Formats: sequence, C-alpha cells, structure tokens
Amino acid sequence: MRRLALTHPLHLVIGLTLWSLWFVTIYGGLSVACAVAPPAPEQGALTTINVALGLLTAATAALLGWLAWACLQAARDKPGRSRFVAAVSAGLYLYSAVATLFVGIPVIGVPPCL
Amino acid sequence: MSETAQTATPRDPQRLHEDMHEVWGNPRGLKALTIVNHTTLGLRFMVTGMVFFLIGGILAMLVRTQLAFPDQEFMAPEIYNQVFTMHGTVMMFLFAIPMLEGLAIYMIPKMIGARDLVCPRLTSLGYWCYLFGGIILTSSLFLEMAPDSGWFMYTPLSSGEFSPGPGSDFWLLGITFVEISALSAGVELVVSILRTRTRGMSLDKMPLFAWYILAMALMIVVGFPPLILASIMLELERAVGMPFFEVAAGGDPILWQHLFWLFGHPEVYIIFLPAAGIVSTLIPVFAGRPIVGYRWVVLAIIVTGFISFGLWVHHMFTVGIPQLAQAFFSAASMLVAVPTAIQVFVWLATLWLGRPVMKLPMLWILGFLIIFVCGGLTGVMLALVPFNWQVHDTHFVVAHMHYVLVGGMLFPLMAGLYYWLPLYSGRMPSERLGRWGFWLTFLGFNATFLIMHWTGLLGMPRRIYTYETVMGWDIFNLLSSIGGFVMSAGIAMVLLDIALHFRFGRPAPQNPWNADTLEWTTSMPPSAYNFASLPRVDSRHPLWDDPELPRTIAEGQHDLAVIDHGRRELWGSDPLTGKVREIVHLPGNSWWPLFASLALAVVCVCLLVRLYPLAGLATLAAVGFLLRWSWENGAHPRAAPDAQVQPGDPPLHSRTMDGPGLWAMSIALLANGSFFLSYLFGWFYLWTVSPEWRMPDASPLSLPLMILAGAALTAGTLWLEKLVRGLRRQDDSGLAPGLFAVSALGGVQLVLLGVVTWQAGLAATETAHDAVLMLGLVYVLLHGALGAILTLLQGLRVGYGYVSATAPFEPAVVARLWRYNLVVFWVVVFAMAVMPIWWGGGA
Repeated sequence: MRRLALTHPLHLVIGLTLWSLWFVTIYGGLSVACAVAPPAPEQGALTTINVALGLLTAATAALLGWLAWACLQAARDKPGRSRFVAAVSAGLYLYSAVATLFVGIPVIGVPPCL
Repeated sequence: MSETAQTATPRDPQRLHEDMHEVWGNPRGLKALTIVNHTTLGLRFMVTGMVFFLIGGILAMLVRTQLAFPDQEFMAPEIYNQVFTMHGTVMMFLFAIPMLEGLAIYMIPKMIGARDLVCPRLTSLGYWCYLFGGIILTSSLFLEMAPDSGWFMYTPLSSGEFSPGPGSDFWLLGITFVEISALSAGVELVVSILRTRTRGMSLDKMPLFAWYILAMALMIVVGFPPLILASIMLELERAVGMPFFEVAAGGDPILWQHLFWLFGHPEVYIIFLPAAGIVSTLIPVFAGRPIVGYRWVVLAIIVTGFISFGLWVHHMFTVGIPQLAQAFFSAASMLVAVPTAIQVFVWLATLWLGRPVMKLPMLWILGFLIIFVCGGLTGVMLALVPFNWQVHDTHFVVAHMHYVLVGGMLFPLMAGLYYWLPLYSGRMPSERLGRWGFWLTFLGFNATFLIMHWTGLLGMPRRIYTYETVMGWDIFNLLSSIGGFVMSAGIAMVLLDIALHFRFGRPAPQNPWNADTLEWTTSMPPSAYNFASLPRVDSRHPLWDDPELPRTIAEGQHDLAVIDHGRRELWGSDPLTGKVREIVHLPGNSWWPLFASLALAVVCVCLLVRLYPLAGLATLAAVGFLLRWSWENGAHPRAAPDAQVQPGDPPLHSRTMDGPGLWAMSIALLANGSFFLSYLFGWFYLWTVSPEWRMPDASPLSLPLMILAGAALTAGTLWLEKLVRGLRRQDDSGLAPGLFAVSALGGVQLVLLGVVTWQAGLAATETAHDAVLMLGLVYVLLHGALGAILTLLQGLRVGYGYVSATAPFEPAVVARLWRYNLVVFWVVVFAMAVMPIWWGGGA
C-alpha cells in the first residue's frame, strides 16, 4: 500500500484523531475494567489497569512524536503550500503527543477505580 | 479557461448587473418565501436571532429582578423555574448558534469568492426549521407551559415522573427541530468552504474566518447528533414509556448527562470559534498589517475543534466517576487553554507590531480580550477537580459561563456587526452612540458577573428563586441586578444606533476600514450574486494587493461573467489547491424547503399534543416534499436545461463524477455516524454501568435472519458499486434495470428485518435493553428504506434521461448511503446479536 505523503492535508487531522481514539480508549477501558474487575483499593496505583493504560499512553505518545518529527523534516524540504501543510501537521502531532503524555500522567499515581 | 483579468474586456457594469439580476435576483411579495439566496437568508437568520436575543434578555432581567432582594415574591417558584430554563435555552439554541450561523451563511461565500452556498435550498430549509422550532419553543412561555428543568434538562427531573406537563416535550421537540437547522448549515458550510472557493484560493490562502467556520461547521456536524439522540430517547420515554433513563428498568439517568455534555461542551467552542474568527479578521485590519502567525492560528483552530470533545465529563465531576477518569478530564480541560492562549498571543502580537486604530469595532474587541481572558482563567480553575466540587452548582459557575459566553461570543459579535454594518447598509454607524453602548454594556456586564463570582464563593446555589437575608448575599445580588439593567441599557443603545444609522448614518465609502478580504469587493449592499465575475486569488490579502478589484469584478473582467445560459454558476474547486475542477450550477428559488419545514412543524405540534396519526401523515407529507425537492436536481430541466459551457471552461458538476453533492452526502453521513456512535455508546454504557440492566440469556434477535438481511444489503451495495464503476467508464448499459434490482434487494432486506423485529417480541416499554434494541432496529430499518427509495428514484430518473453516461453523478451519491448502511448494519448485528452470545447474557 502506498504511504500517505507527509504533505497530505489528512495529516492535519490524523494526529488529533489518534489522540481522540487514545482518549476514548483509556476512558472507556478504565470504565469497563472498573465495572468488570476492579482491583482491591489497597493495591494503590500499581495495578494491571494502570500498567496497561500507561503502556498504551507511552506507545501513542511515541507514535505521535515520531510523526511530528517526520512532518517537520518534510516541511523543511518542501516549498509553499506543501510546507504549510507539513509544518502545521508537525505542530499538531507534537501537540497531540504532549497532550497524550499530560493527560496520561495520572496513571502513575492515582488508583484506577476509587 | 474563460475570461480572465488579463484577457477580458471591461463591460458596462450596469448592463452586466441587470443580466445577472435577471438570473439571481430575489422575487418580491409572497414569492419572497421561496428565496434561497444566502445573503437574504443570512440576514433573516441574524434578524430572527436578534429577536430571540431580546426575548432571552428580557427573561434574564426577570431573573435579576427576582434575585435583587431577599425573600422576594416577584415571581412564583414555578414561573421562576420556567424563566431561567428558557433564558438559557433561548440564548444557547435560538440566539448564539443561529446568529453565528447566520453570519457565516451571509459572509462565507463573499469571503471565498463564491456567489452562494453550495446547497441553497438547504439554507432555506434550515431557516424555516429554525423559525418554526423557535416559535414552537417560545410559545410555551406564553402558554405558561415552558420547560422548567434547566437548560440541560437533566433526567429524572425532566422525565415524565417529575415533569408530567408538556414543558419538557416543548424543549425536546422544539430543540430537535431547531437542530435540523444547525446541521443543515453545518453540512453546507463545510462543503462550500472546501469545494467552492474561487480560483487559486488554496487552503493556505484561505481567510482565517473561513478556517474558523470550517472547524465550527464540522463540530456542529459531529457534536449535535448526540443531543438529537438523547432528545429522541427522552421523548420516547416520556411519550410511550421506553425506559432509557429509568434505573428500575435497566436505564440510567447519567446516560443523559453523558450524551448532553458530549454535545454541550463542544457547543461552547462552536460558539466561541466563529467569534474568534471575527477577532482574527478584524485585528489585522485595524492594526494595518497581516496577522502574526497565520499557521499558529490554523493549528489552534484545529486543536480546539478536537480537544473540546474531550472535556465533557468536567461538567460531571460530582456524579461519582472514578478519580483517575476525573484526572484525565481535568488534564484535558487544562489543555484546551493552550490553543486559546496561542490565539490571544497572536492577537496581541499583531496589535503590538501594527498601528492599531481604535474605531468602534476595536473597542468591542478590547472588551472581548479582557472579559474572555478572565473567563478562561476561571475555566482553568474549574478544571481542577477539588475546586470544581467546591463551587459546583453555585453562582461562581454561572459567572464563569457568562464571562466565557458573553465575553467570547457577544462582544466579538458586536464588533463584527459594527464592522460589517456598512457592507449591508452602505452607511456608517454613529461613533458616539456606539461608544455609549459599548461602555454601558461593558461596565454593566462586569458589575453583574464579576460580583457573581463572589456570590458563588459565598455559597449561593444557582437556580434558587429566592434567599434569606441571613445568608449575606443581599448586597451582591442587588449590585448584580443593577449591573444587569445597566448592561441592558447598553444593548438598547447599540440597537438604537443600528436602527438610526439606516436613516442618519453617513454614506460609507467603498472598503471603509481598508480591509483585505473579498467581501469588501462586492457592492454595498451586496447584490444577490455577490460578484459579477469571479476573481483569481493568489494571496491572503487580495484587496490589499489589488485595490481595483471592486471595479474589475463589476466590469466582468474575471471568470464566469457570462450569464445568458440562465444558470446560477460558481466554481467547483479543489479543496487543497483551489484549482478549478468544474462549474457548479445551483438551483433557483423553491417552495419545497418551506413546504417540507411546514410539514415538519405540523409533525412537531402533533407530537406535542399526542396526535400521533396526524403526526404520521405529516411525516409522510414531509418525506414527499423532500423527495420532490430531490427530483429537481442534476440534469432535470429546472436544474440545468442544457450542459453547454463556454469554450475552455470545465464541465458542469452534474456531468461529472465529482460534484459537491458527493461531499454533502459524506458530511451528512458523518453527522449520521456521530448519531450512530452515540447510540452504540448508549448501548455499551447501559450494558456496562446500569445497575439494573438485564441482558437476556439468549438474544431475542434471530441471527440467521439478520445474516440473510445483511446478505441482501451486501449484494445490493456491491451491485450498485458495479453500476457506478460502469458510469465512471461512461457505460450506462443495464443501468435502469440494475438500479431497480438494487432497490428490490433493499426491499428484501427491509422485509427480513421487519420479520426479525416482529419475531423478537421486544418489550420496549418494560426494559431498557429491549428499548435500546428497538431503537437500533428502527434506525437500520429507516436507513434501509431510504436507500431503497432513493435507488428506485434513480432508476426512474434514468427513464427520464436525468441519469445516464453523460449525467452520471447521482448514483455515486446514493452509493455512499448504501456503503454507510452496510457498515452500520453489520456493526448492529455484531454488537446486538453476536456479542451478547459471547458474553452469555451476563451483565
């Protein structure tokens, strides 16, 4: 399958779409996990749920960070409209990566189902 | 290509205007009801919005009068509940959104170099739905039957048990009716901005206002369906007893809150974004320089459009959600401050680097900056969970909300109205009267709502109709009430200024503010066709680059200046590059939108008074009108009598496979998908969370029959795709029989689904499980019926010669609906017939 060029306007929405999917997954996953198999409160934040959410967060942020870097490189090489699209996409990927980490930080210290 | 600025000879502007007016002009008298022109309808939206604003304002003053002193008996508690509920409802649904939509409808074609929006009859339908829905809703006030459960209508307070009167029904039906209007505008604004920009206006040269409206329109498309679904569910619960929100029957009132705020929080940004678009348009003009950081603003707009959908639970921090989930939403709520801050810094930098001129519109912009930044800061405070718990449901929240909404919407709107006033009146407003209006509004607003923060911190809950003097809130409430009346005087002053300027304002020169965007190249007031010829645009500031544009456009020196074919034409351009792809031809004035919306109004009223048979008949009438409307499309003689174009011009869109209708269908399906995903969310939410949810041991749905129905739908979709591929090759052999066969397959699917529904024997009024299943089945049934009927009509249109190898466009549009139906159907089968088997009915 042909790779989507980094100057394609779809990149303007892919980063935040990935962020949205990640966000729905961690919120929905947490809700379902707490409804189906809530861990004992004394376990604190060190639970399977937190670990799973943390890994997903790290993987998503890494993917978004890599896409930001790739778009930035593309923006440097291209002129005009293509540069505009790639540069804005790079910024959006970067924002999405930071947003993923920022929203995901509480999994380190907050118990999941209290 | 056709005539260009370099090659065309100047023509007599008056003669060209008369020829254009012959085709585009508005009729008078009774036929004015058929007008579909965006300028006229945009104005109608805004004028109607202002009327509702005045109604909402009077309600606000009633509230402030009641609260001015302790132990007041100015209003009975029942009336007070109706008044504050209707104040919020009218301001949010009947003023803010339609007003900004009206501005966008009026302004967008002028800014992107188009002659109208791409679906003019949809604009008209939207307006009538808004007007009739608004009238139905506000009539409840005069009947003393207005909704009284707050503007967000929380269940169970709004349910039949605690609100047995028709108040909630007025809200649910009226708002749903009005939302048809919002969705119509959302769909056509997206398609118009992406597909009808003038030649050369690539995405990176688009005016920022168009970026803002694009984001707003997409947010409407995705954000409104959850509320429409919730309203349908609550109305079904109230009218026929389907217990979606009743805990004892397996429902959950918190589901309403989720669905409402899935809409409600993005709604705040749906209101804010166009207002910020006004700010980003005006500041460069009055600073006399291009905006600093165009790319940053685009980035901020896109971020806001997405992130604002991830905040809805911050309205629900007190309902008992796990702390970790609250932390997610708290963090996301803080994140939305980042794009807002980017914009504020961009605006400040532009002012800093420019030479700002403090005209009247700029005064309102400065007021906006001060008030909105304060509102944003209290927003960050409210994103903190412990603080949110502390001030939840107090006047602090009311103060914050008004700082954000009035500061973030009303002030920029006033700036925009003053800025564009000369465009539609040809006259300048009075600076002196306008400044009085601004200062009274600004001071009155802050006196009302700054003080209200303290009242809230002192613990005064919202929505109480009176209080005792021992609470210590007396002086604050009195000052807030005085401030409210001062603000009202300011608004009255502004309205007086606007009214007087039509008579006494000095005539405005062309481009009175030295603006850079295309709307100022039109005549003042603009003609029905905006531009006698469509200019090429190569920069973000066309009017600064070429101040002669108004003249050369009027002289027909640019594109599409030929009108003797009698068609309403504009460019269909590439969404990214702005290169011209085809000529879009638009339908003319039509009665069908008015008839369809009148029939829908009858449906709405009949549902209110529980005359269900008549509601059914009116629904059939509405469907009939809409189908008749769809008949006059494409190659129909009333749409485009012939396909002749000027030598070198691209073909008419109806003679290609790539018209804007494809985009309109896709965007409409995006809204539909949002509705369906909200429904799926409801299904899984109740299954997972509702304490009394009862999943039967075996699914009541017959899986073999469902699979058979799905097979018919799949075969129909594949067949239709094959026919469309043939049309792409300009091969229409076997087209009509093929379309009839596809329609018949749709019929088979319907019959099988009908049998499934009948066999299931669902007790939809007894358990939430069966009610949700029934709703899903009805959804796929209706979609199946729509697909079959539209395909049948396509087959008939082949017979009339409206669809063929030379007019191949429409089956491709219908095929998108079939694809959507296919995906949705199999998801329903999986989620409702297969998954319950896997989980063994355990809930």
